[in-house]
Amino acid sequence: MKSTRAMRMFVSVLGAASLVATACAPSSTTPPATQAQAETPVAGGRIIEGSFSDIQRLNPATSNDATSSGISGKIYDALVNVDAKTGDPIPWLGKWTVSADGLTYSWTIEPKANWSDGKPIIADDFVTRVKAQLRSKVTPNKSQFDKVEGAKDYQAGKATSISGIKVDASDPKKFTVKFTDAFCPALLSVFGAAPLPTHIFGKYTVDSDITKNVDEAPENNNPPVASGPFKFKEWRKGDQVILSRNESYFLGAPLLDEYVLKVVADSTAASAQLKTGELTVNLIQPSEIADLSKQDSLKIYRWQDPGYTYIGWREQSPTATFFNDKRVRQALAYGINMKDVLQAVFFGEGTQMFSHHAPVSWAAATGLNPYAYDKAKAESLLKDAGYAKGADGFYAKEGKTLGFTIVTNQGNKTRETFLQVAAEQYKQIGVKVNPKLEAFEALVPKLTGGNPEVEAVIIGWQIGAEADSYTLWHSSSIPTPEKGGNNFVFYKNPRIDTLLDTGRGPDCSKETRKKAYQEFNQILNEDQPYNFGISGNRLLATASNIRGIDPGSFSPTGEWNIHKWWIKK
Amino acid sequence: MIRRLLYAIPTLLGISVIVFFLTRLSPGDPIRIYTFGSQTITEDDIRQLRAFYGLDQPLPVQYVTWLLGVVRGDFGMSLQYHQPALGLLLDRLPATLQLASAALILQILIGVPLGVYAALRRGSWVDNAIRVFGVAGHAVPTFWLGLLAIIFFAVTLRVLPSQGLLTVGKDQSDIVDRLRHLILPAFVLALAAIANYSRYLRTETLDVIAQDFIRTAHAKGLRNRTVVYTHALRNALIPVVTALGGLLAVLVSGSLIIEQVFTWPGAGQFTYAAARAKDYPVIMAGVMLASTLLVISYLIRDVLYAVVDPRIKAR
Amino acid sequence: MATTAQAGTLPAIAPLRRASAGLWSDAWYRLRRDRLTMASGAILTALIVLSLGAPLIAEYVFHTSFEEQSLLKAYAAPTLDPPGYLLGADEVGRSQVVRLLYGGQVSLFVGFVGMLMSLTIGVGLGLVAGFFRGYIDDGITWFITTLNSIPLIFLLILVTTLFTPGAITLTIIIGVLFWTGITNFVRGQTFALREREFVTAARTVGASSGRIMFKHILPNVLPLIFVLAAIDVGTIILAESALSYLGLGIMPPTPSWGNMLTNASSYFNRAWWLVVSPGVMVFLTVLCLYLIGDGLRDALDPRLKGAD
Repeated sequence: MKSTRAMRMFVSVLGAASLVATACAPSSTTPPATQAQAETPVAGGRIIEGSFSDIQRLNPATSNDATSSGISGKIYDALVNVDAKTGDPIPWLGKWTVSADGLTYSWTIEPKANWSDGKPIIADDFVTRVKAQLRSKVTPNKSQFDKVEGAKDYQAGKATSISGIKVDASDPKKFTVKFTDAFCPALLSVFGAAPLPTHIFGKYTVDSDITKNVDEAPENNNPPVASGPFKFKEWRKGDQVILSRNESYFLGAPLLDEYVLKVVADSTAASAQLKTGELTVNLIQPSEIADLSKQDSLKIYRWQDPGYTYIGWREQSPTATFFNDKRVRQALAYGINMKDVLQAVFFGEGTQMFSHHAPVSWAAATGLNPYAYDKAKAESLLKDAGYAKGADGFYAKEGKTLGFTIVTNQGNKTRETFLQVAAEQYKQIGVKVNPKLEAFEALVPKLTGGNPEVEAVIIGWQIGAEADSYTLWHSSSIPTPEKGGNNFVFYKNPRIDTLLDTGRGPDCSKETRKKAYQEFNQILNEDQPYNFGISGNRLLATASNIRGIDPGSFSPTGEWNIHKWWIKK
Repeated sequence: MIRRLLYAIPTLLGISVIVFFLTRLSPGDPIRIYTFGSQTITEDDIRQLRAFYGLDQPLPVQYVTWLLGVVRGDFGMSLQYHQPALGLLLDRLPATLQLASAALILQILIGVPLGVYAALRRGSWVDNAIRVFGVAGHAVPTFWLGLLAIIFFAVTLRVLPSQGLLTVGKDQSDIVDRLRHLILPAFVLALAAIANYSRYLRTETLDVIAQDFIRTAHAKGLRNRTVVYTHALRNALIPVVTALGGLLAVLVSGSLIIEQVFTWPGAGQFTYAAARAKDYPVIMAGVMLASTLLVISYLIRDVLYAVVDPRIKAR
Repeated sequence: MATTAQAGTLPAIAPLRRASAGLWSDAWYRLRRDRLTMASGAILTALIVLSLGAPLIAEYVFHTSFEEQSLLKAYAAPTLDPPGYLLGADEVGRSQVVRLLYGGQVSLFVGFVGMLMSLTIGVGLGLVAGFFRGYIDDGITWFITTLNSIPLIFLLILVTTLFTPGAITLTIIIGVLFWTGITNFVRGQTFALREREFVTAARTVGASSGRIMFKHILPNVLPLIFVLAAIDVGTIILAESALSYLGLGIMPPTPSWGNMLTNASSYFNRAWWLVVSPGVMVFLTVLCLYLIGDGLRDALDPRLKGAD
């Protein structure tokens, strides 16, 4: 059961995995609201955080999994970052300007940004990262740079350089990147890729030889230099990863001495260790709040998250044909008491979701239908759709009972409980639900492969600052026999397709995109391809002597300002 | 003896075939699982990745490729870590061996005296208590016991750590810290075997006591204690030695669950995680490693058995 | 986890005659006097009856079903009112005690039926291997050694990831993998017995191989097979609970003692009673089974005559 993967939610948005969370503009520091005026930050101490799985590969060019990215994100900073509170892109290792046509970005890297060995961070380092990733045979992110001019040719070995990236000959910290078309998510996805030190990794990529790559470089898991707040110290396989302070961090040396990631079995073990002090920082499940908030040694932070847990209704299903009818999907929205779910499943820690973008996101819409719990309305919609209640208490049409299976991944308590509650509630409006659990590893390929066995599913999306959700909602993201896709509810709506395309460019102004997403959310709210469920709050339990924590919705770990954290003795 | 060794090779081959086809036939594509979070991955990329790892070849071809690699000592690259599968396992093997040896020591130190004592005091309440323990220790689900032990010793009493090899901030040279972490999992792992051992020893000691030559010694007038301690104990130890081989088997299987419960970074838990993630090269390497250890331990046991009890050889 | 290394501890059978009233009545006499075993038998029978009667008990004693949820009462502590919460309520307010009873059905089913399957396969193959010897024996032995050399837990994990297990598939899987110990034992016994005079006698009168195996050898082997059987049920129940704990066995919402342990371990801080009760059930059941096996062995083994 202690399936480490099952505890993670889906990662959905472009570049979200490689993004470290945010800070305000480097020059100013807003004091966190909780900090008492009298306390002066002191250096020293270590943070011990728990993780359900060990890291796998520490080179961000070749890896993807959340745990490895969490660590490599502390070692390597990126050019752009995201404001933790607003989700807006902010300059980080560099500043940028965009050309009028939206196709060319010009970057200047921070003059005082250096690697931990003293060498300056230069434009070539970004190029090294792009080249290393393009030529890697094992990276899961092969297509991340597709829209950069010349990237595909370089990847295929047809070119010995990337034509779209030009480094300024007079200033090694300046460069420009030209895209093939104006693509709004590119800012975060392409420039969220952290530069890699050319003097370490440059030698592994040979422009003229497509067989040479960085995949097996020993420095991958033993990075000698860092650009982020911490540098790599030690990896005790299966047990701990130890990072130590990077004295030459461009925003000022962090106050903490060390950051340790410790592998723990599951959330029960993590809670037990939070209580004993073996862990000092950890994200926790809502079910643990009651117990952990009683501990004087711990403090709990909670904040709204843009991600959510939902019930997906598979349309065009050979067996569950009723999901094609919007009235049935809406009935299922009216027929479940989400307040009950919020209480029983999330222990009150969360907000109801009515469409794709959560209230914290700039792309969220207003005036949406909350589908307030109304059994009578639910049943009347079912009757409109032509269903009649049978003697067994369940609705049926043409001899076929309105019944289906909802599946979720085993090992995630929240989803399992959600499933139980949903099954029970739907029974009361005469809909027969068969709850089913499956191992995460077995369920994922069924979903992305469009396996018709899946009639309805409870699962979650982890959403970052990027508002684009093409891969979830566009009709081209529907799985086919030839290719997989994340639009596994088979939702097809031409207007949605158009709105998604608008959101991606060429006009990347916030106003245009916001307008498009407003309508997008309203349509989804009306159509109910998902019951949008609940956006569960992020809950962080920390030792009460840790100061400086100031969580924001767009920092999933709350660690966007970890270089400012300190421990009160 | 040589025959036994040769016999082992087709056995191992057979195991590899069974495990290979079992893992490949199960549903789920490891590449899809591994690349799941990536937003930018395309179907083409997945195809390329599969080809890179040789997963698009027909199964028999994949098996032969694997086998040829193994002969050269190459068990392939882990799909998750992209490092040599065997190396990853060997990295974690010392932790498992530490656990297994500690458990082995506990078994003998506690199990043998318990069993002999029970046999000597046969019929008394002590015997009954040990006999019940002998069965009960075996009947308790190990993972449940582990959970309870953690809650009791680590969370409630706070005398022992709840998991892992070392406390954060300490390293390998700190023996006390290592022992503190080792004691709970080793004991839980050993419990079933301690129980087993004590029953075994009790039976064997009883058998030996009942045998004719003991009666003869009694008749000769030797004191009871001398008789028992010299003859019974010596003969009872024979099966202890031979059972060591079989015990390695129990340890290899049992350690996987204990490693899970105590988050002990050993080879068993690593192989299990690989099985869930469908990391084929690691699964094959892990199971083959465990099976090889098992086969060797059976061989050792058979050899010891023949050496120690000449009657068996004659059969 | 117990393995059928138990087989190695059983002594060779002394009786030279066919199974007759003598052995059994002697054994029964000894058994009746073994209080521990009789007590175990009684407890086990009670558990089986309770589990089989789960639907009735749920309705008339506790007035609730195993799926009935009550979100307001989630994690309720054990209480006498309502009677359904005698052992507390789980995370969606279901009655723990009723789920334990139903879980018993599943766990006991897997245990007993799995044992029957592996027994059938094991005895059959053991007889054939021991009787015919030669290539058949070599083949079966090789197969057994191979299977035995893969740690059972790995084999179970690999196989259960193949199929989404329900009670039936899990039983079949376990049944198909557990027979090796029995086969070894039966094979050894058949080996020894086929040399005896009564077998030779049967052959001279022209009895067929099958008849010899089943009517002459099997009855002599049978008594100690019961011992193995009792122990095997226990081992299988332990294996099922371990697999369900890992998330590979019976999937919720069907309750089984094993998966009630997976479920509850995450809520340990809120409701520890949810963790204790399923573990105690498994422990108790397996303990009784092992004690019965032990008692049977002591009762059937003439060499220990007078020992108790």
